[in-house]
Amino acid sequence: MSKSNTRFKIIDILLLVMTILPPVAGIVLKVLFVPHSDGIEITGAHVFASLDLPLMPLIISEAQINSWLVMIALAFFCLYLTHGIRAHVDTKRAVIAEWIVETIEKLVTENMGEYFRGFAPFICSILALSAFSSLMSLLGLFPPTSDLNVVAGWALLVFFLITYYKMKCGPLHYLKSFGEPVPFLAPLNIISEVATPVSMAFRHYGNILSGTVISVLIAAALQGLTNLIFGNLPGILGQFPFLRIGIPAVLSIYFDVFSGCLQAFIFAMLTMLYIGGAFPLEDYLKKKAAKTEKRLNT
Amino acid sequence: MNTLDIISINIWQIIISLCNLVILFLLFKKLLFKPVKNMIAERQAKVDKELDLARQAMEEAENDRTLWQNRLDHAEDEAGEIIKKAVSKADRKSETIISTAKERADGIVRQAKLEAELEQKRSEEGIKKEIVDLSSILTGKMLKREINTDDHRELIDEFIDEIGEIS
Repeated sequence: MSKSNTRFKIIDILLLVMTILPPVAGIVLKVLFVPHSDGIEITGAHVFASLDLPLMPLIISEAQINSWLVMIALAFFCLYLTHGIRAHVDTKRAVIAEWIVETIEKLVTENMGEYFRGFAPFICSILALSAFSSLMSLLGLFPPTSDLNVVAGWALLVFFLITYYKMKCGPLHYLKSFGEPVPFLAPLNIISEVATPVSMAFRHYGNILSGTVISVLIAAALQGLTNLIFGNLPGILGQFPFLRIGIPAVLSIYFDVFSGCLQAFIFAMLTMLYIGGAFPLEDYLKKKAAKTEKRLNT
Repeated sequence: MNTLDIISINIWQIIISLCNLVILFLLFKKLLFKPVKNMIAERQAKVDKELDLARQAMEEAENDRTLWQNRLDHAEDEAGEIIKKAVSKADRKSETIISTAKERADGIVRQAKLEAELEQKRSEEGIKKEIVDLSSILTGKMLKREINTDDHRELIDEFIDEIGEIS
């Protein structure tokens, strides 16, 4: 009994360590490989490696690495939450896991309907990946969500899903939907169809990037102010950035924490609304009923 | 090593990120949602089972209650009847006892009366006899002659009766 208990605890600690390790590894990677900067620079992700592939070189950038690290951490955190989960044991983490699952399922069924209950893990993964990617900036790492490619990939997947659910009633039904309410509006409909993923990607990316940009601008302004006020002090005191201590942290609460979580929520919400709205459930059910009736008749 | 531009589009990166999301979806489904839902389902089954058991026990208890209530009601009626019977029986018995007692008492009184009368008569006769004896002695002495009591009994009786009437 005690042996299995200690084994259980060791696995627990291992899982927690594996949860914390990826961000630490990200910091180590950044310290080792990313060239030093004074924080008053606006650049894209650092490129670690570049492979030659047809069409375009495959770039392994900081954004890719960081999003993989987030995924690994999340996977191990899930393992930790559900480790030793049983019906009769009500540990704190089991309650947390249950709360997460039930909240997401409730959110999904409220916004998309009972038919889309299976979408809960997808929405959960969007929320978690987006939020924690944005929160990477709290650790001084490059937030993957401020790279357009990352967010564009998610938006593309959402676009595929939207199209898939619009096609569910048959391609003809899908093509017909472009001619509504009047046929000559078809170009506009096509544009709005394409605009959905583009706007989603740029909204998310732009919000996170703008936070970074404003942070950098404020850092630069505070550096200038410090130089103006304390620049005449002798020795190292004249170069020490006094005003850059503490003040950016307050702003970071908004731009990194609040904005990151909000954008994650908005992205998940839009995904749910677009996919839920794309699927003509009544037509689909009618068609299905007609099909089964036909099958019964023959 | 260089850095990317702020806005850069790379198809491979987009595809990688798309795959990342799909993989994370599968991970979440397998690692978080499945075990938790299994747990919830298991617990739900357990709760349902226990609820069923409780409901069954309650039904049984309710049945028992009605059964015993019925019996209790019957018992009350029975008890009332028994009491009524017992009371009437006791009444009857007491009546018979009282009546027999009365009869016996009457008998005793009557006998006592009879005995008293008999005694009175006896004593009256005794007195009479004594008086006769006495008067015969007296008259014998007075007349200096012995009187045959038997010869004069009639006479003496008459005499005594006269005395009794007078007295």
